[in-house]
Amino acid sequence: MAYQVLARKWRPRTFAQLVGQEHVIKALANAFANGRLHHAWLLTGTRGVGKTTIARIMAKSLNCETGVTAEPCGVCAACTQIDAGRFVDLLEIDAASNTGIDNIREVLDNAQYAPTAGRFKVYIIDEVHMLSKSAFNAMLKTLEEPPGHVKFILATTDPQKVPITVLSRCLQFSLRQMTPQQVSGHLNHVLEAEQIPFEPSALALLGHAANGSMRDALSLLDQAIAYGGGDVREEGVRAMLGAVDQSYLFDVLRALVANDGVAMMAAADSIAARGLSYESALHELAHLLHQISMAQVVPAALADDLPQRADILAIAEAISAEETQLYYQIAIHGRRDLALAPDEYAGFSMTLMRMLAFAPVGGAQLAAMPASGGSAASRPAPAAIAAPAPVPIAVETPVAAPTPTAAPVPAPVAAPVAAPAPAPAPAPAIEPEDPNDLPPWESLSTEPPAHVTIARSTPSEPVANNHVEVTVNVTGAEIPAVTVQIEPAAAMAPRLEDFSGDWRALLDSMKIGAALMLAHQAELTSWNNGVFVLRVNNANKSIATRDFQDKLREALSRHFGQDIEVSAQLIEEEIHHTPAAIMQRERAVRQAQAEDAIQNDPFVQSLVQDFGAIVVPGTIQPV
Amino acid sequence: MLNYDLYPWQHNDWAQLMRDPARLPHALLLTGEPGIGKRRFAERLAAWYLCEDPAKTDAPCGVCEGCRWLAQGNHPDYRVLAPGDEPEEDAEDSKAKKKSAIIGVDDVRDLADFVNLSAHRQGARVTVVYPAEAMNVASANAFLKTLEEPPAGAQFILVAHAARRLLPTIRSRCRVLPLATPDLASASAWLAQHGVVQPELHLAHTGGAPLAALDDASAEWLPLRNSVLEQISMPGSLNPLALAAEIEKSKVEPARVIDWLQKWTHDLVGLGLTGRIRYYPDRKEMLAKLANRAPRMLKYVERLQQAQRLAQHPLNVRLVFEALLFDYLAALRGKLTG
Repeated sequence: MAYQVLARKWRPRTFAQLVGQEHVIKALANAFANGRLHHAWLLTGTRGVGKTTIARIMAKSLNCETGVTAEPCGVCAACTQIDAGRFVDLLEIDAASNTGIDNIREVLDNAQYAPTAGRFKVYIIDEVHMLSKSAFNAMLKTLEEPPGHVKFILATTDPQKVPITVLSRCLQFSLRQMTPQQVSGHLNHVLEAEQIPFEPSALALLGHAANGSMRDALSLLDQAIAYGGGDVREEGVRAMLGAVDQSYLFDVLRALVANDGVAMMAAADSIAARGLSYESALHELAHLLHQISMAQVVPAALADDLPQRADILAIAEAISAEETQLYYQIAIHGRRDLALAPDEYAGFSMTLMRMLAFAPVGGAQLAAMPASGGSAASRPAPAAIAAPAPVPIAVETPVAAPTPTAAPVPAPVAAPVAAPAPAPAPAPAIEPEDPNDLPPWESLSTEPPAHVTIARSTPSEPVANNHVEVTVNVTGAEIPAVTVQIEPAAAMAPRLEDFSGDWRALLDSMKIGAALMLAHQAELTSWNNGVFVLRVNNANKSIATRDFQDKLREALSRHFGQDIEVSAQLIEEEIHHTPAAIMQRERAVRQAQAEDAIQNDPFVQSLVQDFGAIVVPGTIQPV
Repeated sequence: MLNYDLYPWQHNDWAQLMRDPARLPHALLLTGEPGIGKRRFAERLAAWYLCEDPAKTDAPCGVCEGCRWLAQGNHPDYRVLAPGDEPEEDAEDSKAKKKSAIIGVDDVRDLADFVNLSAHRQGARVTVVYPAEAMNVASANAFLKTLEEPPAGAQFILVAHAARRLLPTIRSRCRVLPLATPDLASASAWLAQHGVVQPELHLAHTGGAPLAALDDASAEWLPLRNSVLEQISMPGSLNPLALAAEIEKSKVEPARVIDWLQKWTHDLVGLGLTGRIRYYPDRKEMLAKLANRAPRMLKYVERLQQAQRLAQHPLNVRLVFEALLFDYLAALRGKLTG
């Protein structure tokens, strides 16, 4: 008999031998014990968690000669034949090879006949996600109301590809991934039974490397036994997995912080020289960055006994939270793109260089990041401004305002609350302290959200302090104090009192919409007591209708957060101080300058003189 | 006629595999960079399985009937699953049919007959899948059940250049054997033996893979690569339309050309940021002229990765490269948009 790999040899034959999946086994065992048998089950989960295994054990449970039981005897004819894979009433169908409707029809045509030897005819349809659409549909009727002697067990790694009509006809069990402890515990058991010497720490490594899949773990164990020559040692397993010692990664990160490309590549080379795997290096790097980010946001969550705690804290000090997020993103993307690089070294070093290139990024530069490289890191920022969900805490708290000036604060309660969540969102970058220094996306959202208007128009007294910090202490909870920053007025809703009369600047800073044309063609003559008096040339009366005036009024009210009257006067004479006129004059000046610059350019002049070139009129554009 | 001699850098791997022949798994996945001799390793292993010499130790004997059949290329218990195996090679009739780059689902289904029937000779039935990532989603899924629990005597040897592109369900069913890339010294010594003039340079072009380097030294696409690199190193005079037409005319597969561009960009970025060149040390001067644009090129790296992902699709080669080259110029100017 040829050697059987451990994953096959140790395929569990009873529910008791299964590792994990207690939630599924318990449900099934109770169903078998009480005789409440569904006719179709769907088992889902990633590779190597036991879908096919459970399906086979279920087939035994259903057909065991001792009766329907959760503990098949394993010795009767039915059990032994199922184990050997030659039980006539167990049809194990590879749906990936029999994807078509004809294959399925052929199978189902036989469903009506009674079982030959067993109690039930059991159809195990494995890799069911590969069935074609028509094949699925052909199954529906039989799957819904099969003859009493037919049981279906479907298994797949990819339930998303199974039509909803099939899902609803099945009892779905989703199998969990195994924990590393469960995996290494089982490996321990296997090795003892196989009488192979081993080190427990090696099994822990394998347990992590298996990523929650028992078959992966057993395949790796096979590999480790071969690698170690019949012996499983930690050193050998580490070398086999190409597991990366974290100290190399700290070298990489330190070089990154120092912005030292040469040192960084030297660190990368030392990883290469040790024959470590680049994929696991990127994986570990992302893991490390996660820990650093944790150290920055929730320092208490960092375990005290972490081996590299001091190093992590040092790097957490040296780089900002946004940078950490960015590097993390880059590492994750780099790992995904590793397969597309010319070779793995290139993929790895390119990822590091990408981190290096984006290293000295400030908040404003984030917007210039390439779409997939770092946008995910910068994306939370605009979202936090454009859609500030009112945080319930702020509404219900009796606001014990820290500053006396903010005592009458009914307004900020419903105002947009930018609450820096405890999650590692790059909150600091989004505080619009200085309206002139706003990142590009700010201009899109200077208009406060609608619900602010309501709050703003009610209070008679505007809030004097436009940056209120409320610290709410949730009593008796482990949650750290939540700092809620309320800044409705900061740079968002300027007050009418501050308006200097610069009509054009005002228009630039607000969002007007359809009334923009009117606003541009109008000259502001006075703005006392909330009444804006505008003059408009008679030639433009078509845009000065009631409609447009109303729209302008609404826009202004919204902008200043209080009711504004607009009155437009139509006059005959030319108006020179409308924004449109001003802009046109400026354009003319710039055009003149540009033409002047071209005409006086020595190179152009020499072209004209030496080659008879002519400057085509009207083609000069100011830049 | 197959050659089963190992390359000098493979002896360790082979010895490790043969340390305990009784424990060989039914499915073995060989991984490693392209061009390091994985295929020959797989063939040698297949030959070892099929060798009928009762006294065989760790090498096929080469004289028994099984070995001779295999050497003649008609052993009935040996299958190779490789892309473009369809017998319709006499493609003169219609538009010269392109060799398919994938292993189709029908090929995999046909395999079931081969695996599940008993062997012609002693019992071992060996299937080599080369390269494994050429299986598309359908064929990879169809392979799963066969691969997991084949009847006794069926052996699978999968060869993958990029194991990560395989389905995780496939990977989980195989024992992985990573084959090492040889170190520079032994690789260049081997190349020198095979009459390559500048072994280090060619090794650099291929990232250290000796067989690829051997190919690199004498391939018929060399003039094209030189011309492509020559032209993109002078962006001022680069004419994307003409170069794309040239690439299309040469009929070199797009993935390879994209690979050159990727390596070039890698060097450009590497030189600019860290002062290192990996692939094209012979073009250092040209690279140095462009190296100050390195940070801008990172976006282009992503662009190339996208292109590489689509390289096996039947796209219009000329349009693909026109777009890539225009983007290259835009990236150098810092105007490449997402």
